[in-house]
Amino acid sequence: MDLTEKLVSGKGNFVDDINMPGMLHLSFVRSPYARAKILRIKGGITWKDVDLKMASVGEGATKGFEYLEHPVLAKDYVGYVGQPVAAVYADSPYEAEDLAETSVEVDYEPLKAIVDPEMSLTAEPMYPGLKSNLLADKYLGADFEIKDAPVIIEDRFVNHRIATDPIEPRGIVAAYDGNRLTVWVSTQSVHSLKEGFCEIMHLEPESVRVIQTDTGGAFGLKGGIYPEYIVAAYLAMREKRPVKWIETRREHLLASRPGRGVVGKMKLYADRTGKILGIKGDVIVDSGAFAGGSGEFSARFIAMQLTGPYEIKNAYIHAMSVLTNKVPQGPYRGAGRPEAAFFIERMVDRLADELEMDPVEIRLKNATTAPYVSPTGLTVEASKPFLESAVKAMGYHDHVRKGNTGFGWFVLVPATMPGETARILVDGGTVKVWLGGNAHGQRHDLFVRSILSDELGIDPSVVEWQKGDTDQLEDGVGAWGSRSAMMGGSALVEAARKLRKEVENKYGKYSPQKLLEGKWDSYEFFHYDKPYNNLGANLITVHQDDLGVIHVRECISYYDLGKVLNMDNVIGQNAGGCAEGIGQTLYEGLMFDENGQMMTSSIADAGVVTADLVPRYKLLLHKSESSLPSRAKGLGEAPTIGTPVALARAIEVATGLRIRETPINPEYLLSAKKFH
Amino acid sequence: MMPPAFEYMAPTDVDEAIDLLNRYGDDAKILAGGQSLLPLLKSRITSIPYLISLSEVKDISYITDGKNSLKIGAMTLDADLEYSPTVRKNFPILSDALGQLADPLVRNMGTVGGNLSHGDPSNDLPSVMLALDATFKIRGKSGEREVHSRDFYMDTFVTALEHGEILTEISVPYWPAASGGAYVKFRKGTWNFSVAGVAVQLQLDNEIVKKAGIAITSMGPTALKASEAENYLKGKKLTAENVRHAAELVVAASQPSSDSYGSVEYKKEILRRISVQAIKKAQTRAEVK
Ligand SMILES: Cc1cc2nc3c(=O)[nH]c(=O)nc-3n(C[C@H](O)[C@H](O)[C@H](O)COP(=O)(O)OP(=O)(O)OC[C@H]3O[C@@H](n4cnc5c(N)ncnc54)[C@H](O)[C@@H]3O)c2cc1C
Repeated sequence: MDLTEKLVSGKGNFVDDINMPGMLHLSFVRSPYARAKILRIKGGITWKDVDLKMASVGEGATKGFEYLEHPVLAKDYVGYVGQPVAAVYADSPYEAEDLAETSVEVDYEPLKAIVDPEMSLTAEPMYPGLKSNLLADKYLGADFEIKDAPVIIEDRFVNHRIATDPIEPRGIVAAYDGNRLTVWVSTQSVHSLKEGFCEIMHLEPESVRVIQTDTGGAFGLKGGIYPEYIVAAYLAMREKRPVKWIETRREHLLASRPGRGVVGKMKLYADRTGKILGIKGDVIVDSGAFAGGSGEFSARFIAMQLTGPYEIKNAYIHAMSVLTNKVPQGPYRGAGRPEAAFFIERMVDRLADELEMDPVEIRLKNATTAPYVSPTGLTVEASKPFLESAVKAMGYHDHVRKGNTGFGWFVLVPATMPGETARILVDGGTVKVWLGGNAHGQRHDLFVRSILSDELGIDPSVVEWQKGDTDQLEDGVGAWGSRSAMMGGSALVEAARKLRKEVENKYGKYSPQKLLEGKWDSYEFFHYDKPYNNLGANLITVHQDDLGVIHVRECISYYDLGKVLNMDNVIGQNAGGCAEGIGQTLYEGLMFDENGQMMTSSIADAGVVTADLVPRYKLLLHKSESSLPSRAKGLGEAPTIGTPVALARAIEVATGLRIRETPINPEYLLSAKKFH
Repeated sequence: MMPPAFEYMAPTDVDEAIDLLNRYGDDAKILAGGQSLLPLLKSRITSIPYLISLSEVKDISYITDGKNSLKIGAMTLDADLEYSPTVRKNFPILSDALGQLADPLVRNMGTVGGNLSHGDPSNDLPSVMLALDATFKIRGKSGEREVHSRDFYMDTFVTALEHGEILTEISVPYWPAASGGAYVKFRKGTWNFSVAGVAVQLQLDNEIVKKAGIAITSMGPTALKASEAENYLKGKKLTAENVRHAAELVVAASQPSSDSYGSVEYKKEILRRISVQAIKKAQTRAEVK
């Protein structure tokens, strides 16, 4: 059966489908306060049982400061609503939830919460011994002064936090046989999780096996390891019984790592012909209460990309990650890339309006004609030819004539480093494949089949893509950051070529028959330590109805994908990413009150984009093969970057309002002049 | 998201259900489609030791054309009412509301009686019933009584249903020829409750409004009848000016509060606009007939 058919017809095997004899169910008691001292905990599994700190693994991993490390279970302090304080277990999930309500007592002394990231900059430090609430603080580029710049524009933009909201929330089953811990988990990287278990629980690599179950979406969330997983593993080892934990949607919204949560304060200098002379800016990331999320790392990553596809000679950006009493920020759909594009593209549109020039004309004026490395360190190929062909292919000028059109473009920075692994095992006429990054809904099996039928001349139907298993593939990185076709694909191409050579060496000549008759095992770590960026553009048209509501009419993508390994993969990635971008811009956001309580703790309030709210997508390809073995370029995150900027602009044109925030408040949309 | 333990009972007739309700007192509640009650239990906002399901009760799910009114059994599924030919023909206002009520999954489980008994000011059917002048048949230990929809809604989650009583039937009076209605709902997202909803039913006589039924959703502690707007329209032509003024009176009847969906002013502005839309749509439907 086709994988999609299997997964959508109830025949998949997701974590919650696993049932084992004697299995225990875990449930958590969580902090009701954004910030409080814990005076007393009675009952349940607590820090006295699991006195461990979370290491930082997954996308954007960095080592935290000791006092900022997220405890697995809170000890004397809680830093956000939903932080795990104690755990309980029972033979059924019903009883476990009963116990969570009845068997644990916690006394808190609430403290004043620090909620707003900009206010956190001047607030008293959150932890004793800290000088400020800056978790990371870097300057990129070089300071400059432009005397008498003819045009200076300053503005402030916000991308509010959003829940990752995969249809399948987080979940794990852990079992221990006295020697070895085995976990089944919904993940983007079994390898990153294994590393996490070993580091946090001080386990030897041989004594941990991580197996991926069918994974129902992840969007960045499932690359990392979480306190709940450690407690599950701890309990399995202690009780020598399998332990299951499945996150509820409410827990997901409250206590799993959300994305975005970034403020950009920008200042742009230009001359009156539209040439950008320089940019300055502050990037402020709402990092949450502990290190170990992606917060520390993302401010710098956003700052680096702020020069966009432009030849901006002067740039000086202050990248700040600040502590707030919220769950740590995590990598989510684009993870810093959409934020950077939003900030710079909004500024370029402002410049166009200021000079009464066409937005694309301004962009052409500032595009590079040769490869360029910006002062913040962003590598861009010659972007002008790309822009010219994008404008033509998308019919930009016709759309603008019809009205309510927005255009945006960007440099996609895929997470290439440090490369990726692949293994091919041929046995009994079938070809099994493992990739170091684990697909979580993208259908890696499709491009795996395409690559192997091309490289090895075999019938695609003998190829069996495998889910992640650390016993089957010794190491690997992960499926995130637009990297799978580039890096995973290249590792697979190299592994296939190695195999081909082995067959050739043995039989003098390669043939698919010879390959399939034998037993072969080929492993490859394709190392890659440089960026490999590419360009993309989006065009969107909208309509605003009598109630102020925005309807997205058309969404055109024009991307440089390199070689298309499998068209179905590409179409799926574009559709999903555009839907996400529309969701971020119009519907999705996590909102907090001044005490750090979440006001959007149901999926209805947190928002989600549904099928009737998305337009038909049109995808146009700018094909120029990459020099990687797979010939592919990055794609996954492209639409999450291009959609919000193009959509924000289309809404500006349709409403006459300036768009500075996502999600856009419907009330603001109704304030458009045409209604009054 | 697992509910606390409860006993589940499924009697086969209404009187037995009433007996059980009385036996367990405050510890018991009727379970209809479960689409409001189960989320409350699962999120542990409440716990109910005895759930008395009406799913096995016979003869409580029907849509019948009576002499003067349409009779709807309380356990009729939202989806069944939505697709009922007589509803489509005679009460497009109900089809409007049902077609936008939650999503098909909820409508395949949720019941008309449950939607009306729950007393949620954001439920869509109460305002439609108010606009249509429906009456509710209620049965308890001491027999049966009829309550007009206008007297049914007391406060948020509080209705005229006494403990131990069950709503068994809804009667929707037929409106004379040259009547028509519409329900307009403004919501965030596709399957969500409304930010504001308005139900308008009009009877016309040569362009003159003979009778108007107007009520609103999500605009106060209960669904609210906009009596002043109804009275204002009576005897008037639906000129742009009159429609605008009626909409203003609908807004005057509203008591919205500000929340993450918007400020009071915003909600009133939306209500103003959708009231105009609903009146115009009702007018068109009344004229066609
Ligand atoms: C995701 C979601 C979205 C929703 N969106 C909407 C929406 O947009 N609009 C809308 O109107 N509704 C919405 N609902 C609510 C839904 O319509 C419910 O079905 C309805 O509110 C309750 O009907 P029920 O049959 O499910 O009743 P239940 O949930 O079983 O019962 C609700 C309450 O009514 C009582 N009760 C039920 N039947 C009777 C009876 N015959 N006599 C006396 N008391 C009774 C019960 O004791 C209980 O207190 C939504 C629900 C969900 C889950």
